[in-house]
Amino acid sequence: MKIYIIEDDVALRTELVKFIEAYGYECSFDDDYENIMNLALNAAADLILLDINLPIFDGYHICREIRKKSSVPIIVVTSRSTDMDELMSLNLGADDFITKPFNTQILLAHISAILKRSESGTDRKEYKGIRFCAEKSILSYEDKEIELTKNESKIASVLLKNVGKIVSREELMNELWQSDEFVDDNTLTVNVNRLRKKLEEIGIINFISTKRGQGYLI
Amino acid sequence: MKLSSFLKEKTVYLTFQLAIILFLAIILGSLKISMSAIILICFSTFLLAVISLSYEYIKKARFYKRVLKTLDELEKKHFIGALMETPDFEEGYILFDILQAATKSMNDEIADYRHLNEEYRDYIETWIHEIKLPISTIDLMCENHKNEVTDSIRSELSRIESFVEQALYYAKSSTVEKDYSVHSVNLDTLVKTAIKKHSKQLIGAKTKLIFKNLDKTVYCDEKWLIFILGQILSNSIKYQKENLNLAFRVTESKESIVLSVSDNGIGIPEKDISRVFEKGFTGQNGRCFAKSTGIGLYLCKRLCDKMYLGFDIQSTVGSGTTLMITFPKDSRILLET
Repeated sequence: MKIYIIEDDVALRTELVKFIEAYGYECSFDDDYENIMNLALNAAADLILLDINLPIFDGYHICREIRKKSSVPIIVVTSRSTDMDELMSLNLGADDFITKPFNTQILLAHISAILKRSESGTDRKEYKGIRFCAEKSILSYEDKEIELTKNESKIASVLLKNVGKIVSREELMNELWQSDEFVDDNTLTVNVNRLRKKLEEIGIINFISTKRGQGYLI
Repeated sequence: MKLSSFLKEKTVYLTFQLAIILFLAIILGSLKISMSAIILICFSTFLLAVISLSYEYIKKARFYKRVLKTLDELEKKHFIGALMETPDFEEGYILFDILQAATKSMNDEIADYRHLNEEYRDYIETWIHEIKLPISTIDLMCENHKNEVTDSIRSELSRIESFVEQALYYAKSSTVEKDYSVHSVNLDTLVKTAIKKHSKQLIGAKTKLIFKNLDKTVYCDEKWLIFILGQILSNSIKYQKENLNLAFRVTESKESIVLSVSDNGIGIPEKDISRVFEKGFTGQNGRCFAKSTGIGLYLCKRLCDKMYLGFDIQSTVGSGTTLMITFPKDSRILLET
């Protein structure tokens, strides 16, 4: 998946590229704002992140020009947050609108939501012979399958995204909260234990390990 | 205008008039004119003076009475110049002209200040948008280099962000112009958006959330209300006692829908509660437990007032605080916007 970034603040752009690339997307950008519309179109990206305050042309103009020629998804990322800005962006054909300073997880969620919508690809992960299909909430190992609840599926998905890294309980809770599951500390423990039990049922033992005081690890 | 004070002002005129009548009576007397004729002449002269005086009194008294009544009814007294009727006597003209000139000069002055205020506000808003850029950049840098240090930088950064946001809404709350748009908003979505925005702090405070009956539609400005809820949440976190319990409840009555947010925090002493909406008031809690600026609740109250929403607080020391936002069902609010 390729993301094209139109943002003139170099420091922010550099960090944004680093951040997005860390999550497995490919990034490109240009500094020639005179021809930025053509450059963006030629980059053949799957998604464009667009700032509004830019040199030469503003983001609205760029958005309209790109829309004339292509239906590539555009997310407007701006520090202006009035209703008017949001309305302008969406009316000019942008698919989404995020205000700075953005929550990084929310930005990622928006990116993957838009890409999923336009690509209709499936969110499938595989690790050590365990296949996980997030859309159907089904985890399979060898020839056995097990269905997960919404919370368990979310936990599994976060842990599988961060293989080899410790995921703190706070991070897990934050992820769950972002999808309207406002679990507290105890519920999270219960959910993780249920997930472990389900994994054991299909023969995956000691898959999720607890790091005391730090979090969970696959 | 009192009759007595009017007559007092006319003392000179009255004395001369009496003197003339007396003089006339003496002259006429020395000319051997009959007594009845003298009385008739003196009386008619006196009557003429009385008539002309009462005519003047009635005219002036009526005018000043009207002016004073208008002034009394006016909420903003400085509009009197514009609402005064044109008088039909000289002194009135002078007063009228003076008032007109004073009003005009004051209006010019007000316009100047309003302009200055607007310029300042524009600057603040631009500044806030500018400052958001480096904040985003630092946040991303921390995200890209995750460790203990960057984690603490991030939490400090989120404090900066909330101060910046407060400044933005402060600027918005203090302008004369209306700067919000009222839409129909689902309370459930709204509350959850606000919670997600503050998820990290809430999770850090080991929060347990309870939702009751939230699926109601109200009319308000979404962004403003999310900000207000954010202030309430951060207060609950600031003044928590143990693991935070937060309950969001909606009750509906014939005239209004009330959203209440209750926590199990330290509560507010009774002597302080009536003053928590005052600007700069920090109270005992603000001094003892956490650094308080005395701006948060003041701002919430002002923003609610602007949107015609009710904003009330109840608290018991040791068991918690409840904040209530009342959305009137009166559809006139929509007509206003």
